Amino acid sequence: MIDRTPQGIYPPTEAMLAEPVPQDVRDAQEDRLRRVWKTKTGIRYLMTVNNSEVGKWYSLTCFAFMLSAGVLALLMRVQLAFPGMQFLDADRFNQFFTMHGSAMMFLFAVPLFEAMAILILPAFLGARDMPFPRLSAFGYWSFLIGGVFVLGSVLFDAAPKSGWFMYPPLATEDPGVGSDIWLLGLSFIEIASIAAAVELIVGVLKCRPPGMRINTMPLYAWYVLVVGGMILFAFPPLIAGDLLFELERALDWPFFDPARGGDPIFWQHLFWIFGHPEVYIVFLPSVAIAAMIVPTMAQRPIVGYSWIVLSAVGTGFLSFGLWVHHMFTTGLPMISLAFFSAASEAVVIPTGIQLFVFLVTLMVGRVQKSLPLLWIAGGLAIFTAGGLTGIMLAIAPFDWQVHDTYFIVAHLHYTLFGGMVLPVMAGVYYFFPFFTRRQLSVRLGRWAFWLIFGGFNLTFLPMHLTGLLGMPRRVFTYQPDLGWNMLNLVSSVGAFIIAAGFLVFAWDLLRPGKPRLQDPNPWKAGTLEWSATLSDEDWGVRSIPFITSRYPLWDQPRLVERMAEGRYYLPDAPEGHRETLVTSVIDGQPVQVQRVTGDAWITLAAAVFIGGCFILPTFHLYVAGAISGLLGVACIIYWLWTSTARIPDKEMKDAGLGLRLPTYAAGPQSVGWWAMWITMLGDATAFASIVFGFFFYWTAGTDFPPAGADHADGMLVLLSTLLLTVSWAMTMAARRLNRRGSVTGARAALVAAPLAALAGGGLLVLSVLDLSPTSHVYPAVICALVIWTGAHVLVGVLMQGYCLAGLVFGKIDPDHDADLWNVSLFWHFHVLTVLVTAAVIGLAPRLL
Amino acid sequence: MKGDRVTGISHRQDQDEFRGATGSLFRIALAPTIWAFHFLFCYAGAAVWCAKFGTPGGIAFLRLSIAGLTVLALLAIAWQGWRSYRQWAPHDHDDHVEGSHRFLGHAALLLSVISFVGVVYVAMPALFIGSCL
Repeated sequence: MIDRTPQGIYPPTEAMLAEPVPQDVRDAQEDRLRRVWKTKTGIRYLMTVNNSEVGKWYSLTCFAFMLSAGVLALLMRVQLAFPGMQFLDADRFNQFFTMHGSAMMFLFAVPLFEAMAILILPAFLGARDMPFPRLSAFGYWSFLIGGVFVLGSVLFDAAPKSGWFMYPPLATEDPGVGSDIWLLGLSFIEIASIAAAVELIVGVLKCRPPGMRINTMPLYAWYVLVVGGMILFAFPPLIAGDLLFELERALDWPFFDPARGGDPIFWQHLFWIFGHPEVYIVFLPSVAIAAMIVPTMAQRPIVGYSWIVLSAVGTGFLSFGLWVHHMFTTGLPMISLAFFSAASEAVVIPTGIQLFVFLVTLMVGRVQKSLPLLWIAGGLAIFTAGGLTGIMLAIAPFDWQVHDTYFIVAHLHYTLFGGMVLPVMAGVYYFFPFFTRRQLSVRLGRWAFWLIFGGFNLTFLPMHLTGLLGMPRRVFTYQPDLGWNMLNLVSSVGAFIIAAGFLVFAWDLLRPGKPRLQDPNPWKAGTLEWSATLSDEDWGVRSIPFITSRYPLWDQPRLVERMAEGRYYLPDAPEGHRETLVTSVIDGQPVQVQRVTGDAWITLAAAVFIGGCFILPTFHLYVAGAISGLLGVACIIYWLWTSTARIPDKEMKDAGLGLRLPTYAAGPQSVGWWAMWITMLGDATAFASIVFGFFFYWTAGTDFPPAGADHADGMLVLLSTLLLTVSWAMTMAARRLNRRGSVTGARAALVAAPLAALAGGGLLVLSVLDLSPTSHVYPAVICALVIWTGAHVLVGVLMQGYCLAGLVFGKIDPDHDADLWNVSLFWHFHVLTVLVTAAVIGLAPRLL
Repeated sequence: MKGDRVTGISHRQDQDEFRGATGSLFRIALAPTIWAFHFLFCYAGAAVWCAKFGTPGGIAFLRLSIAGLTVLALLAIAWQGWRSYRQWAPHDHDDHVEGSHRFLGHAALLLSVISFVGVVYVAMPALFIGSCL
């Protein structure tokens, strides 16, 4: 084994930091860094994977989707301005409100979190880039393709029209392609979201600058960690639900059809297990922006750092206990409703704590009045109002009165505007000088604020009353004698005032000739993103600093100057590789120099083909979809093979300041292993959702499993489980043998492992071949579990083959076995999936 | 100022990092996780009981089970809170800067408090509601 212990001196001494870098050395270093990180021009600009470019594309795309969804809202408000209007017909109105909700949630609110985080997180952490830049780019292209596909459907009169939560049977029975577009297009985007979450979590845990302990990292990073974790547990249930839903649409498997044992309520559970945490997934990153702006505006550290961490983590957990408050009118037992009512009231405590922390910080600080603070203040006011109606709605009897009325529409817009839109606007005004080295106009900013804030209240405040007067949401028109006329007209006028505000903002954002920044730190902030100099460089940071404080720019004098002179870590790129520093999770000790991937077409190609795999089946082009999927997989394998876990030329590298660090890591030390671990956590959640379905049907129905039903063949299930367990053991053996230097033994194990897995997977499929999944939900859910496990067998076999090829072609050897570690980790999770599947389809039906 | 010294980052220490790091991070999430399981058991227990035994059987057994579960959860959270308090509370030799170890104790303590309150909230319906209707 190669000794990869970090060597040299850490932490650096003051004398080392004070030592000047000669001018000619500096110039040569800067030259090399500039060449390595240079952004390509012309058509090759599209190959870019650097976080600052991808983040800009991502944010602007989100903004464009938001404006489109906003236009749909305006058209709806025109239709509702007067009773009996003929502006939109009912069908188009249905498409518009469905797309407005879906686009605002899936194409704006959640992706914008990812976009902003990709854009600013590396700067907060003094990192050159995210740990997996190509994954960010892949996520962006997937988002763009999926988003254009879903939103574009509205232009062809083919959009989904069952509301943004797609309740069956309305959505399952919908004759057009709308529901399929929603299911497949948004599943594709959700997978991209999970990819972004994995990248952001690993980024926060492993790519902080040396010395930045977990208790000194910026609060934004805490929120990213919590929200990333929430995405991992919230999105997979919806992906599992989408799978079941599409199986019902395409193959008539009756998951949500009560006539054959299914239950539409099951979709509501899966949707809201995703949907409610999602509200907080949208809200917390915006609070995170406030948590960065408030200390700067108060010119003092945040009061109660630990309390913010408490509220972020606490809200993250409690938000998973609220989902049934969207289902108070579905006839669940009263005691069940009451649990969710109680949890909905409890979540107010952590949510409130962070708002009070902001207020206290502002009270004890020296507040600078500024545009970002104005937006934050407006956001807090609106959010508080939305929170108060939320407390009313959490009480079940009140909810029964106003369920599905405009009161709900008012409430949710108050929480989302106050909790998300306005803080994000504050963030845009605050961070704009950092992104572009230019300032937005204060005068136009004030205009935009007052138009949006005033217009918002004019639109949505009356809606509370419209709802209490009984106007249901999602109706395309109403009778003139119900007392809703004036209220609706006022709301419609207000909507156009909001739109005017956004036009002012968009003009300010995109107009040329904004003044250049004079001071690199215009707000006198204390966090690392303001350490960049005025010259616009692509390298992120000139050198990666050693951090000892939560607000290094306030507390560490000369830090900015020393960073710019390249006196800290990784000031050079002598090998011509893009690199960033990997540090330990709790204390931020440097452990590795990580080579990060560079610009490439392959990520774009992979996104196009994987996109095809989701989009083509919408039009029943299953063969073309499968071919596209295979091409996508081929692209991803090429991308992994050529640019990840490469055996380095030099095992150790000078990282600067007398520290030598390894350039390769495997297993728990490597960022790839962490990413696999986090991904599999999400994957396991999706699987658990399908297993939950099995027990849900057992609880909810009296005939599950139906008397005399055919079961999966017990003997075949047992054999298949044995073979797959052998395959798992062989994979472990391959890793161990390779580590011990027995490469031949490892190769033999990796030949046996996929054969056993394929045989096991085949037997698993055979065990259910006689069942008829269209007849009843029982065989359908058994077959869904087999599809899930079988697909994972194929992925596992592919991974084993990849490692075998790695051993044969010298990509993996006893000293460089990162791929084997990652694949073994996949198989650990997979063997658990296999055992649970076997227990559920083989044992449970015979016991229940 | 720690002075000029050779790095204390050992290879072994780094290999154990996953266990150590996830250990401390999961420890701060322990109390909310107890809340989550308590919540899940209450909800799933009520759903299964009401679906399979329903109104005729009454829900006295269910309510007693929830009460027992709640006592267990509160005890576990209180114990976790006490451990976190010990980790956070300043010791004599401490300089006044809160290190990462103490910080994690502080965060875990605050989360124990919020989880305690959460468990009490969630248990309350079983106190007031006497049927499956």
